[in-house]
Amino acid sequence: MTRSRAGKPLQAKREVQGDLLRVGRAASSEIHLPDPRVALNQGLIVFRDGLVYSEGDAAIVSHAQTTRKAVRSVRLKPGASVNVGPYRFTGVQAPEGYDAALSIELVKPLAEAASGLATRASRLTLASLRLPKRWAAWALALAVLALFFALPAGRILDLPWRAASQSTGITGDRFWNPGPMILAHQPIETRCAACHTAAFQHVKDRACLECHTAVGHHVGPELKPAVLFEGARCASCHRDHKGVRATHRDDDGFCVACHRDIGRKASSTQVENASDFATEHPAFRLSLLEGDSVRKVRQGEDDLTESSNLAFPHAPHLDPAGVKSPTRGRVRLDCGACHHPDASRRAFQPISMERHCRECHRLEFEPAVTSREVPHGKPAEAVNVVSDFYASLALNGVKDSFEKAFGVPGEGLLRRVGQPSESQRKVALQLAERKADRVSADLFEVRVCSTCHEVGRNDAGWTIAPVRIASRWMPQARFSHRSHAQSKCADCHDVARSLDSSDVAIPDIKTCRECHTGSKPVEKKVASSCMLCHGFHDAGHPWSPAKPGAVAEARGAR
Amino acid sequence: MKHQSILEYANFRWFKVAAALSAIAGFAYGLHDPSTKPYGGSALGYTLGTVAALLVLWLLWFGVRKRLYRSTLGTVQGWLSAHVYLGTALLVIATLHTGFELGWNVHSLAYVLMVLVVASGFYGVFVYLRVPGAITGNLGDETLQSLLLRMADIDKDMREKALSLPDDLFRVVERSVVATRLGGNVFRILSGRDRGCPTASAARELPELAKRLTGEPANVNKEVYTLLLEKNELLARVRRDMRHKAILDLWLYFHVPLSVALLAALAVHVTTVFIYW
Repeated sequence: MTRSRAGKPLQAKREVQGDLLRVGRAASSEIHLPDPRVALNQGLIVFRDGLVYSEGDAAIVSHAQTTRKAVRSVRLKPGASVNVGPYRFTGVQAPEGYDAALSIELVKPLAEAASGLATRASRLTLASLRLPKRWAAWALALAVLALFFALPAGRILDLPWRAASQSTGITGDRFWNPGPMILAHQPIETRCAACHTAAFQHVKDRACLECHTAVGHHVGPELKPAVLFEGARCASCHRDHKGVRATHRDDDGFCVACHRDIGRKASSTQVENASDFATEHPAFRLSLLEGDSVRKVRQGEDDLTESSNLAFPHAPHLDPAGVKSPTRGRVRLDCGACHHPDASRRAFQPISMERHCRECHRLEFEPAVTSREVPHGKPAEAVNVVSDFYASLALNGVKDSFEKAFGVPGEGLLRRVGQPSESQRKVALQLAERKADRVSADLFEVRVCSTCHEVGRNDAGWTIAPVRIASRWMPQARFSHRSHAQSKCADCHDVARSLDSSDVAIPDIKTCRECHTGSKPVEKKVASSCMLCHGFHDAGHPWSPAKPGAVAEARGAR
Repeated sequence: MKHQSILEYANFRWFKVAAALSAIAGFAYGLHDPSTKPYGGSALGYTLGTVAALLVLWLLWFGVRKRLYRSTLGTVQGWLSAHVYLGTALLVIATLHTGFELGWNVHSLAYVLMVLVVASGFYGVFVYLRVPGAITGNLGDETLQSLLLRMADIDKDMREKALSLPDDLFRVVERSVVATRLGGNVFRILSGRDRGCPTASAARELPELAKRLTGEPANVNKEVYTLLLEKNELLARVRRDMRHKAILDLWLYFHVPLSVALLAALAVHVTTVFIYW
C-alpha cells in the first residue's frame, strides 16, 4: 500500500504462496522490501493458525553485533501491526479462498529519513579528505632530482649553477660517491674532478699517472708492454671506492689468467708457466752478476756459479774451531759476524773490507820492521806507500830497521857522518826501489791482495778485478729476512762446506715448499699466493751496471 | 567457485617465477668472483642492476595497467599477483646488486626507497588479506549507507520520543542527534573511535539522569534509551567500517609516492654512475 500526495491509500494487491515467507531486502525474498534500511534477510512470516512475523536469531544482521536484536515474534491478527524497518505490517481480514492477508506500508520514506547525521557524514574515507597522494609523489620525485642530480651535476655538466654546486657541501657531488676510498686517496676524496675529469667517460690513466709517476710496467720494454696490455687501463685492476684498504685483491686469478700459459700471451718471454706455488711453479731463476752484465740461470739447469772476482770460501771462516785472529787468538765466527741486517731488517748491509775482513786480513807489507799497512782500495796508492816507506828507510832508517828491511849491514844514508855523495844517494835509492818492487810484487801477487782478489798487471801497474758481490739473486721476488727470523740461516743457506766463492747458496724451491704451499690452505703450511712473493709493477733489476739509479729513472720515464 | 587470493593465482605461477629468478640471482652471486669485491659495477653487478631496473619500471607500470580497463594482456588479478611476487624478487636482486654495500649516497637512497616501497607493499598485501574479512564481519548484509539511514531513522524517532522527557534528559538526547560526528579528519577515520562522542556519553549519562523518573516518562525513557543503545551500536560499526576502509587505502599513500620517488632516485643513480664512470 502506498499513499497519494493527499494521504489517500492506493492499494496494489499481490498474491504469494509458500510454507514460509521470507522478508527482506534480498530480491529472493517472497516479501521484497527494497529499502536500504531493511536487512537482507530481515524476518520470516509463517502460518500458525494465522500469520506470525518473527525476526531475531534467524535474521540477525551480523554475528559481529554485540547488542543483538531481540528475538521478536508478532501474531498478525487483523488489525495488529508491527514495524519492520521503515515499513509497517498490518494484519487484515483474509479474503475468500486465502489463508491470510497482510498490508504492507512504507511509513518512513527514504527522502524523509536522509537528514541530520547522514548529511553531515560526508567525509568518511581518506579519499574524501583529499590527501596529497599524487602531489606528494611529484614533490618527492622532484626533490630527489633537484638535490641529488641537478645541483651536483652543475660542475661536470657545466650547468649555469656550476659555481654554487661546487661550493655547497650539502648538495655537492659527494652524494654520488659510491663507497669509501683507500686511505691514500682520501685527501682528494671530496674533489671528484681530480679523477673524474669528463662526464660519461672512464677515468683516464692520465689522471692516475699525474701522481703515480714512478709506476713501472709489468714487463720490460723488450716485450712491448703497450701491445701486450692493449686495452687495459689502471682501473681494469684498480677499483677505488671499494674500501679503505686496497683498490685490488691479491688474487692469483689475475696472474694465472696469463701465466698459466704465458707463451700464448707473450711468445718471446723467457719465464715459464706458473699457476700455483705448490703444484706448478718453475725452479727459481737466479740473476747472477757477470762482469758488466746479469746472467739469468735457472736452478738445476745450468752452470750455477757466480764470478764475484773475490776469493772467499765460507767453510774455513765458519770452522767450529774458530779462525786465528792476530790479536785475539782463535775466534769463532757465525753468520752475523759479517752479515748485519740493514735498517729494514729485510736484507743485509753490504760486506765491507774495513769492517768485516781487516781485523784479521791485515795489509802489512814489512811486518818485521813496522805495523804499517797499505791503504785498501787503490793499487797505485798501495805501491806509493810501499815505495815511500823504503825510500825513507834508505835515507833515514836506523841501523836495526835498515838491516832487517834490506838484509845488508848499514843504516839510513843521512844518518852517516858527512855529506853523502850523489853516487851514494843513487845507490841508496836503487836499493830502496828494488826492495819496494820486490815487496809490492809479494804483497799483490803472493801474500796479501791475491788472498782475496784477482790480481792482474798491465803497463800502469797492478790491477784488482772489480768485486761484484750480489745482494739480490731473485729481484722479482719479495723476500724479507725479517719475516723468516725464526729460522736459522743454515736452514736455507748451506755454506758450511762451501770452499769457493763461486758457490751460490740461494735455497731452491724445494726448500721454500717445506713451509710454503700454494694459494689453497694446507695444514701446517703457509698458504702463499703469487702476490706473497711477486709484485706486478716491479719490472727490471734494481741493480744496473750502466749507472746507479738507472733503473729507477727508466721506470719513472715509462 | 572458491575464492582464490592473488597470492595463489594460477597455482602460484608468479611465486615460482619469482623464486626461480631469486635463486638464479643468488646462485650467480655465489659463483661470481669479481676482481675486487662484489659490487654493482662488476659484470654480474651490471646484469643484476639492469634486471632490477627493468623490474622497477615494470612494477611501476602496474599503476597504469590497472587503469587500462580494456587491456586484454592478462588479467589485473594476474598482474597484481606478478606485481607482488616480482616485487619481492626485486628485493633479492637489488640487494645482491648492491654487493651489501650501503653508504650515505644517492645510490643507497635508491636502495632504501626500494626497500620502503616493497615493505609498504608487503603491508598492503597483509591488509588486503586481513581487512576485507573484517569488513564483511562488521557490515554483514548492510552497507555503510544503510547504516547511516537507519541511524537517521533512529535519530528522528528518538528525538520525537524524547520531546516528552524532562529538559536535562532531552538535552542529552538532542546532543546525540545534533552533535555526533563521523569521520572528517584522518585521525577520527583511522582510529575508528571518537572519544568525545555525544551518543556514547548520552548512553552513559541517561540511566543516571532517569533514575528519578516514574510512570509514563520512565517508559518513554526506556524506549529512548533502547534507541540510543542501538544508535551507539550502529555508530561503532560505522566507525569500524571507516577504519577498515581507511586501512585498505592508507598504505597506498606511502607506497605510491615512495615508488615515484624511487623512480627519480633510480634515474639519478644510473645517470650519476655513468657520469662518473
